[in-house]
Amino acid sequence: MSTFLNSVSALTETAMAWPSLPEMLAAYRPFLDPLPLQRAWYLLLFPLCLGIAVTYKAVRVPDMRRYWRDVAIFTTQLVLSVVIVGGLMFWVVLWVLPRIVPMPG
Amino acid sequence: MSYTPDTQNEPAGFNPLAGIAAIVLPGAGHVVRGERQRGIMIGVGILGLFFGGMLIGGIDVVDSEEDFPWFIAQSLVGPVAFGVDYVHQHHFKVLALVEQVSPDGRRLLVETRRSANPHEVRDSQGKPAHAASPTDPPPNTKSLSKTNELGTLFGTIAGMLNVIAVVDAAFPTARRRVAKPATGEAVKA
Repeated sequence: MSTFLNSVSALTETAMAWPSLPEMLAAYRPFLDPLPLQRAWYLLLFPLCLGIAVTYKAVRVPDMRRYWRDVAIFTTQLVLSVVIVGGLMFWVVLWVLPRIVPMPG
Repeated sequence: MSYTPDTQNEPAGFNPLAGIAAIVLPGAGHVVRGERQRGIMIGVGILGLFFGGMLIGGIDVVDSEEDFPWFIAQSLVGPVAFGVDYVHQHHFKVLALVEQVSPDGRRLLVETRRSANPHEVRDSQGKPAHAASPTDPPPNTKSLSKTNELGTLFGTIAGMLNVIAVVDAAFPTARRRVAKPATGEAVKA
């Protein structure tokens, strides 16, 4: 359990240790340099899901008056699904597996 | 109970012109078909994902030479992807001699394109040159780790979504079929 809690704690600390906005943008050249998001990469899940929802719902919705409502619902569903699956995998790898197959030493 | 289609005016059947337009530019197929708002949102979504990926990982995420399997999916975005890749290969990468080992074990120097290293710039012939100042940036910075993976993934998903959009533009029949029952209440078929 302590390993699991330590991992959660480390993940939280990583999230809190964001560089400031001026630091992030100081030497950044759009489309030429990668964004300095190595420690906050998981936030990119939101634009990814939004982009998928915007495109997919534009193809699927019968009535464009309901478009943005459907995009919001689908984006939420995608984000929650990925978070739940990610959380489950995190729990299985760091809590369940060590109990089923303990690491030697 | 009899149902009356609510989408009688919606175009149906094979539309090759819309299909070609959708391949040329994401969303253009729907605009050609007269569904302007739908086409604009498809274009915004697909190009937003593609260029969003480049914003995250830089132009390095579209690379037909170093990341060919990913580029196959990215190329489904259309000529835009090929254009970006051409610019990347011919205007940002440097032509440098790279040591390779032949199948018979000999070491060969092969001229190949690679991203410029830090403190390298690109000369007029596309060859690497030392930067005049240590603060001079390379033409582009190679992305690594998560930013490269996610930037590449954004472009790849954009390409796969464009396949859906192209099929929908060319064969506008199998989706969005909304029917009205005889009473007039709309239901999804």
